[in-house]
Amino acid sequence: MNLLAQAEELTESIDIGWFALTPLLILVSGALGMLVVGALTPPWPKGLYAFVAAVTAGAAGVMAIVLWDDISDQGPRTLVEGALAFDTFAMWSTITITAVVLLVSLLTDQFIRNTPSDGPEIYALYLVAATGGIVMASANDLIVLFLGLETLSLALYVLAASNRRSDQSAESGLKYFVLGGFASAFFLYGIALVYGGTGSTNIGEMVTNVSAKISEDGDVLTLAGIALLIVGLGFKVAAAPFHVWAPDVYQGAPTPVTAFMASAGKAAAFGAVIRVLVSGLPSFRDDWRPIVWVLAILSLVIGSFLAVVQTDVKRMLAYSSVSHAGFLLVGVEAAGHTAGQADAGLGVASVQLYLLLYAVLVIGSFGVVTVVAGDQPATLESFRGLAKRKPIVAVAFTVFLLAQAGVPFTSGFVAKFGVIQAAVSENSYAIAIIAMVAAVVAAFLYLRIMVSMWLHEPDESAVVSSVPFSAGLAIGLAAVFTLAVGVYPTWLIDLSDSITLVR
Amino acid sequence: MLAAEAEAFSASSFPILSMLVIVPLVGAISILFTTKSRPEFAKLIALVFSVTTGAMSLYLLWIFEISDDGFQFVTNQTWIEQWGIGWHLGVDGISLFLVVLTGLLFPLAIVGIDPHHHGANTEKPYLAWLLMLEAGVLGSFLSLDLFLFFLFFEIVLVPMYFLIGGWGYENREYAATKFYLYTFLGSAFMLVSLIATAFIASDSLGGITFDLVAIAEGGDIGTTTARWLFFGFAVAFAVKVPIFPLHTWLPDAHTQAPTAGSVVLAGVMLKLGTYGFLRFGLYLFPEAAVWSRSLWLTVAVIGIIYGAIAATMQKDLKRLVAYSSIAHLGFIVLGTFAFTSQAISGSVLQMVNHGVSTGALFLFVGMIYERRKTRQIAELGGIQKVAPIFAAGFMIVMLSSIGVPGLNGFIGEYLILIGSFQTARWWTVVATAGVILAALYLLWAYQRVFHGEPDEANSSFPELKFKEGMVLLPFLVAIVFTGVYPKPLLDRIEPSVDRLVTHVAANSEVDADPSYTTQRGEFEIEHAGDETEDEEGEG
Amino acid sequence: MVELVWLIPAFPLLGFLTILIGGRRMGEPLAGLFATAMVGASFVVAVLTYLDLLGMDEEQRSHTETLFSWVPVGDLQIDMAFLVDPLSITMCLFVTGIGALIHLYSIGYMHGDPKFSKFFLYLNLFVLSMTLLVLGSNLLVTFLGWEGVGTCSYFLISFWHTKDANATAGKKAFVTNRIGDFGVMLAMFLAFGAVGSIDYAVINDSALAGTLTQATATGIAALLFVGAVGKSAQLPLYVWLPDAMAGPTPVSALIHAATMVTAGVYLMVRVNPVLGAAADWVPMLIAWIGAITALFAATIALAQNDIKKVLAYSTVSQLGYMFLAVGTGAYVAAIFHMITHAFFKALLFLGSGSVIHGMHDEQDMRKMGKLFKFMPVTASTFIVGWLAIAGVPPFAGFWSKDEILLYAGAESWVLYGIGIVTAILTAFYMTRQVIMTFFGEQKWGSLANEAEAAHLNDPADTDAATEGAEAEALEDAGTGPQSVGAAANADIDQHETHGAHGEFKPHESPPFMLIPLVVLAGLSAVGGLIQLPSIGIIPKNAQHKLLDWLHPIVEFGEGAEERGIGEAIITDTTAYDLKVVLIFVAIACAIAGIVAGWAVYQRRLVKPFEPELLERGWRYDEAISWFMGKPGRAGFQGVADGDAKVVDGAVNGVATIVRETAGQVRKGQTGYVRQYAGVIGIGVVFLLGWFVVIRGIL
Repeated sequence: MNLLAQAEELTESIDIGWFALTPLLILVSGALGMLVVGALTPPWPKGLYAFVAAVTAGAAGVMAIVLWDDISDQGPRTLVEGALAFDTFAMWSTITITAVVLLVSLLTDQFIRNTPSDGPEIYALYLVAATGGIVMASANDLIVLFLGLETLSLALYVLAASNRRSDQSAESGLKYFVLGGFASAFFLYGIALVYGGTGSTNIGEMVTNVSAKISEDGDVLTLAGIALLIVGLGFKVAAAPFHVWAPDVYQGAPTPVTAFMASAGKAAAFGAVIRVLVSGLPSFRDDWRPIVWVLAILSLVIGSFLAVVQTDVKRMLAYSSVSHAGFLLVGVEAAGHTAGQADAGLGVASVQLYLLLYAVLVIGSFGVVTVVAGDQPATLESFRGLAKRKPIVAVAFTVFLLAQAGVPFTSGFVAKFGVIQAAVSENSYAIAIIAMVAAVVAAFLYLRIMVSMWLHEPDESAVVSSVPFSAGLAIGLAAVFTLAVGVYPTWLIDLSDSITLVR
Repeated sequence: MLAAEAEAFSASSFPILSMLVIVPLVGAISILFTTKSRPEFAKLIALVFSVTTGAMSLYLLWIFEISDDGFQFVTNQTWIEQWGIGWHLGVDGISLFLVVLTGLLFPLAIVGIDPHHHGANTEKPYLAWLLMLEAGVLGSFLSLDLFLFFLFFEIVLVPMYFLIGGWGYENREYAATKFYLYTFLGSAFMLVSLIATAFIASDSLGGITFDLVAIAEGGDIGTTTARWLFFGFAVAFAVKVPIFPLHTWLPDAHTQAPTAGSVVLAGVMLKLGTYGFLRFGLYLFPEAAVWSRSLWLTVAVIGIIYGAIAATMQKDLKRLVAYSSIAHLGFIVLGTFAFTSQAISGSVLQMVNHGVSTGALFLFVGMIYERRKTRQIAELGGIQKVAPIFAAGFMIVMLSSIGVPGLNGFIGEYLILIGSFQTARWWTVVATAGVILAALYLLWAYQRVFHGEPDEANSSFPELKFKEGMVLLPFLVAIVFTGVYPKPLLDRIEPSVDRLVTHVAANSEVDADPSYTTQRGEFEIEHAGDETEDEEGEG
Repeated sequence: MVELVWLIPAFPLLGFLTILIGGRRMGEPLAGLFATAMVGASFVVAVLTYLDLLGMDEEQRSHTETLFSWVPVGDLQIDMAFLVDPLSITMCLFVTGIGALIHLYSIGYMHGDPKFSKFFLYLNLFVLSMTLLVLGSNLLVTFLGWEGVGTCSYFLISFWHTKDANATAGKKAFVTNRIGDFGVMLAMFLAFGAVGSIDYAVINDSALAGTLTQATATGIAALLFVGAVGKSAQLPLYVWLPDAMAGPTPVSALIHAATMVTAGVYLMVRVNPVLGAAADWVPMLIAWIGAITALFAATIALAQNDIKKVLAYSTVSQLGYMFLAVGTGAYVAAIFHMITHAFFKALLFLGSGSVIHGMHDEQDMRKMGKLFKFMPVTASTFIVGWLAIAGVPPFAGFWSKDEILLYAGAESWVLYGIGIVTAILTAFYMTRQVIMTFFGEQKWGSLANEAEAAHLNDPADTDAATEGAEAEALEDAGTGPQSVGAAANADIDQHETHGAHGEFKPHESPPFMLIPLVVLAGLSAVGGLIQLPSIGIIPKNAQHKLLDWLHPIVEFGEGAEERGIGEAIITDTTAYDLKVVLIFVAIACAIAGIVAGWAVYQRRLVKPFEPELLERGWRYDEAISWFMGKPGRAGFQGVADGDAKVVDGAVNGVATIVRETAGQVRKGQTGYVRQYAGVIGIGVVFLLGWFVVIRGIL
C-alpha cells in the first residue's frame, strides 16, 4: 500500500462540496487576488479597486442566488463534515452581506480616493470581513462560528483604524480591538463550557446530545456557557448593555466602514445568534428567551432615548442602530417561542428580512453622511439646509430616515411590521408595544435631522461639493430599493418565508 | 365634465375608488418633475389633478346607490398574500360625503390659497405635499383593509408634517414635531392591536387576513380580548380626533399650519379619528364600544365644555377656532357612542358640516392674516365698517358654527343631541349647555374683531376680493343648502348608519335599536320631574 | 287660500333675497318701500287665509301644509310644514300687519342712514323668521323661527355696531336667549323620546289622550317655559331687553315690544294641553314668575329717565301679565293682551321714536317737556297709547288687562293683588313719562343745547358720570345715527343749533312716520272690541269674539272644562261673581295712578320719589355683569391657563424628562475603555446570575 493512495482515499471520503462553497471561495480569492496583484502592479486607475471588489461581491451574491435554487431542490444539508450549514438561511445572509460589500465599495471609492489609504487593502479587507461574516452565519459548529467571528472582527478592527490621518479613527480601531478581544474571550470560554455540558461543539450533535439528556451539572455548565455566548454575540450585535463600544467606534471609524459595520456586522452577528440559540440550543429556549427579552427592551429604550440627545449624526445613527438591534431581538424572542419545533414560526424569517432591509437602509444613510460630511465630523449643523444645497441627496436621506422611523411605503415599515407581527403571533404583546413606543421616540431623532435639512437655512460657509457618481449610484440604489420594497414587498416576503435552518 | 365622464365609462368597469387614490398621487409625483424655472406648470398640474379628483368624487356621489346600505364600488386585489393584506377599497354612506368633501376641499385649498412663504421654500414641493396628503386622506376613508387603512392613516402624517414645518408660522417646528410624534404614538398602539386582531381572528376565519369586513362579520374574538384590542385602536383615534385630554397637539398644529394646512387639517384630517371610531371601533368591536361608552361619552362632553371655555379666552383668533374644533368634535364623539340612528347619522353629517364651517373659518382667518399680518384679536377691530361683505361672509360661517337653525351646523348638532338624549340623557343635557357657550365665544370674538371703530391699521382693511369670494362661495352654498335641505345627505347616510347600529345592537347586550317608542318614553319618566327642577335652577 | 299659506313667509323671503342682492343699488327709499310692500303682501295673504278659515266650520279650521321633508332620520321625521289654525293666523295677522306699519315708519326714521337698505334687509328677514315661528307645525320649524328672530334681533340691536355698547347689547341678547333655547331643545328631545315626534298635533293629542305621562308633560312644559322666559324677557333672564333698546327705535317697537318677545307666550299657548297634563306646580310657577316680573319691572320703570327704557321695562312688565294669564289658564286673555299690547306698545315706541327724531336723538326725558305744541300728532297718538296701557276704558289695554286680573283673582287673591298694584304703578309711570315729555315745563331749550354742544365736543356724554354704566350705554346708543353718519350728521346738528343762533326747535316727524302712529292709535283705541267681557250691558253677540275664534285651540277634546280652560273654570269662583266690581276697581286704580302721577310731576305737590336703586334696576343686572366679569371670567381664564400649563405641560414635561434623563445617562459615556469593559462585566455577572443561579441551580 502506498501512502499516497491512502491519502487520496482519505480526502475523497471527506465530502467538501466545493460547489456549495463557491460564494466563499469567490470572495477569498477576490481578496487574495487584489492583495497580490495590487502589490505587484502600479496603482490601478481611479475606482478600479472598488469596481473589482464590487464585481467580486456581486459574483458571490449571484452564486448564492443560484445555490438557493439548488437548496430548494435538494433540501438543506451540511458541508465539510457538518462544519458548515448549507441552507437558505445561510444563502440569505450571504446575499445580504455581499450586497453590503457591493454598495459599501461604491461608497468607499470616493471617500478614500486621493488619500494615502487609497489602494487594494481596504477592499480586500471588506472581502475578507464578508467571508468571515458569511462563515458566522452559515456555521454549523461553534468553533467554525468563532473562526468566522474572529475573521470578521480582525478585519473590522483594521478597517476602523484605516484612516491614517485621523486620530479618532485610530482610537476607534483600538477601542474596538480591545473590547472586541474582551468579548471574544467570553465567547470562546462559552463555547468551552457548552462543549463541557453537551459534549459537542457541533450544533446538530449538541441538539441530539441534549435531548439525550446527560447530567444535571452538565446542564449548569451549558447554561453558564449560554450566558457567555450571549455576551459575545450581544457585543457583536451591539445590544444593550453590550453596546457601549458602538457609539465611539461608529463615530470614529471612516464613514463607509461604519456603514459596513452597521450592516454586514449586524447581519453576520444575528445570523450567528440564530444559529447558536434557535437551532443550537432550542431545548434551553425557556432559559435564554427571557434574557433576549430583557436585552431587546434595554436596546430599544437605551438606543432610542440616547439617540435623541446626540449632536453628531454618526453617533445618532450609532444609537439608532442599537435600537434597531432591539427590534431584531424582538424577532429573535419571537423565534425563541418556536425554536426547535417543526413549525418554525415567523421569527427567523422576520429577522432575516429585517437584516437585509436594514442593511440597505443604513448604508444609504451613512452614504449620505459620507457625501455630506466627507471626513469632517458629521455634526447636525453640517446638514443645515441640505434641501437647498443638494435637494436630491436631501430627498434620499429623508427616504432613509423615514424608513428607519418605520413610515409606511418604505422598506423600514415592512421590516418593523414583520418583527412586530412575529412577536404578536407569539402573544408577546408587551415587547411589541414597547418596541413601537421606542420607535416613536426614535422618530423624534429622525425628525430632528429632517428639520435641520428642510426647515433651516444653510449657513454660507457650507461647502457644496458635487456628489461623485459611484457614491450617488450606491445611494440611489439603496433609495430605490427602500421605496420599491415598501410599495411591493411581496416577492421578498415570499423568499424570506422559504428560509429554513438545517437541523 | 361629469356627463363626459359618465359616458366615458360605466361605474362597474371603472375602478373609481382606486383612481381617487391614485390620481392625486400621480399628480404629486409628476409635480416633482416640473422645472423650477416654470413654477406655473406645478400649479397647473396640481390644479388639473385635484380638480379631476374632485370631479371624480362628485361623479361617485352621482352614481352612488341610495338604497344600498353596504359597501359600493368595491375593489379587492390581494397585495401581500403572505400577510393576508389586500388592496380592498369600498365606500358606503358613512364615508361617501367625507370622500366628496375631501375631493372638493383640496382643489379649493390649492387654487384659493397661496402658501405663506418662508425663505426659499418654493410652491412646488408645497403642492406636491398637498396632493400626496389628498391621496393619503382619500385612501384612509376608502380602505376596507386594516393594514391598508393603517398605511394611509400613518402616511398622511408625513405630508402634513412638512406642510406645517415648511410653510407654517413662527413656531412651526415645534408644532410640526409635536403633531407628528403625538399622532405617531397613538398609531403605535393601533398597529400592535390591529395585527393582534388579525391573528386572533385568523383562528375562526381559517387563515390570516386583515380584511375589515371579513373580521367584523366572521371574526370570533373573545370579549375581554376585544376590549383590549378596541382600546389599542381607540388610543390612536382619540389622539387624532382629538379627545380631551389628548388634544394639546391640535391648537399648536392648527395655529402654526399654513392656511391650506389648517383647512385640510380641520376639514378632513380630524375626521380620520371620528371616522375611525365608526368604521373600525364600532364595526369591529361593538361589544367593547358599548362596554366603554360611559368613558367616551364623558370625555366627549368634557371636550365640548372644556374646548368652548378654553376657546373663549384665546387671544389668537386662529387658536380660538382650533379650540372650537375640540368642542365640535366632542359632539361627534358623543353621537358616535349614543348608538342611535339619529345620533350617528348626525355625527356623520356633522363631520362634513364641521369640515365645511371650520374650513371656511380658517380660510377667513387666513385672509385676515394676509391683510393684517396678525392673528391677535386685540390688534383687530371695526372691520365690519370697512369690509362689510367680508364681515357678512364671516358672520354666516360663524352662525353655522354656532349652530343656528337653517344652517348646516344646526342639523348635525340637533340630530346628535336628540339621538343621544334617548340613550345618554345626562351627558346630552350637559352637551346641550355647550351650545350656549359656542354662541358666547364666537360672538365675543366677532365683536372684538368686526365691531367697533377701526383704528388706522384696520381702517385700510381691504374688502373681500373676487377670487376669495369665488373660493368661499362653495362653502357658503354648502352651509345654506345643508341647513335648509339636508334630506339628500341623510338619505344616503342613514341606511349605512342603521346597518351599523343594528350590527352593534346585535353584537352587544344593550338595546341600541334605532327605533324609539313610548316604552322608552316611560323609562325617562323617572328623571323628567327632577331634571326640569334643575333647569329651573339654571334658568 | 289655506294651501297658499306658504306665501306668508315667502314674500318677506323674496324681499330679503332681493335686497340682499340689489339692496345697495335700490338705495333709499326704494329698498324700504319694496320691503314694506313685501310685508304688506303677506299681510294680505294672512287676511285672505283668515277669511278662508272663517268660511269653514270650527272643526275644519286646522290644516297642516307640508312643503318638504326637512330632517328625516329613522322614526324622527320632521317636515318643513305649516300649521294653519285660528291661533297661528291670529299671530300672523298682527305680526305682518304691525310689521308692515313699522316698515313704513322706518322709511322715515332711517332716512339718511348709510345702511338704509341693510336695515330693511334685516327687518324682512325678521318678519320671515317670525312668521315661520308662528306658522310652524312642529317644534323644530318654530325653533327655526325662534332662533331666526333671535339672530335678527342680534343684528338689529348691534345695527350701529361701531358703538361698542350696541355690539355688547346685541351679544348679550343672543347669549341670554340661548340659555332659554337650551330649555326648548331639551323639551324637543324629551318629546321625541316620549311620543316619537315633535309635531304639535301629536304632542297635544297625546297630552289630551293621557298617553303622555304627567312626569314627561311636566318636563316638556317646564323646559319650554325656560325657553319662554328667555325669549319673553321674564325673571331671571329679562336683563337683555332693556339693553336691547340700543337698537333703532322701530326695532324696539317691532321686535322688542310687539312681536318677538311675545313668542314665549305664543309657545306656551300653543302647547296648552301639555300644560294641562303637567303637574300643577308648572302653571303655578308660570303665573308667579309672570306676576313677580310684572311688579318688579314696573317698579324699575318708575325711575327711568330714558324715554325708551321706561317703555322697555313696561314691556317686561306687560309680558309678565301675559304669563300670569297663561299660568292661570287664561290663554285667550294672554293672546288678547298680546294683541292689544302689540297695538299700544308699538304705538308708544314709535311715538317715542318720533320724539327722539324730533329732539335730534335726545332720549333723556329730563331734557324734554312741553313738546305737545311742537309735535301735536305724535303727542296725541302717544296719549292714546298712554290711556290704553294705563287701563282706562274704553281703550284696548283696559279690556285685556281686566280679563287677566279676573282670572288671577279666580286663581288667588295674592296674584290679583300683585296685578292690581302693578296696574297702578303702570298708570303712574306712564303718566310720568307723558308729562315729562309732552307737558311740564320746557327743559330742552338750554339743556338740549348743552347736550348738543357736549355731543359735538366730546362724544362721551358729560353727565355720563352721574348715569349708571348701562344708562350711559343707552345714551350713546340713542345717538347712534349721529355716530354712524359721522361728519355728515354732526354738521346737521351744527346747523340746527348754532345756525339758528342757539335757537333749538323740536320738529314734527314726516308723514311716513305719522301714518303708522295714527293707525296704531286707532287700533289701540278700539282694539278691545275683539274680546269684550260677558257683562250685562254688553250685547251677547259682541262678547268673547276672540274666545269663540280661538277656542278650538284652547279648549278641544273631551272635558275641556275639567282640564280648566276658558271661562268655564272660574264661573264658580268669587272673582267671577264679583267681576263687575273688579272692573270698577281696575278703573279706579288706573285713575288713581294717573292722578298721582299728575300730582307729582305736573302739579309738583309731592317731591318725586325716584331712588337710585330703582333707577339702576335693583342692581340686578349689575350683579350679573359683575359675576360674569369677575369670577366667571377668572374661572374661564383658569381653564384656559390650566390647559396650557397642566394638560399641555404634562405632554411637554414627558418630552423634557426624556431629554433630561437621556442627557444624564449620556454623561456616563465617558469614552474610557475600562469603563466600557466594566459595563460589559456587569452585564456578564447578571447573565451568569440568571442562567447559573436562577435557571441552573434553583
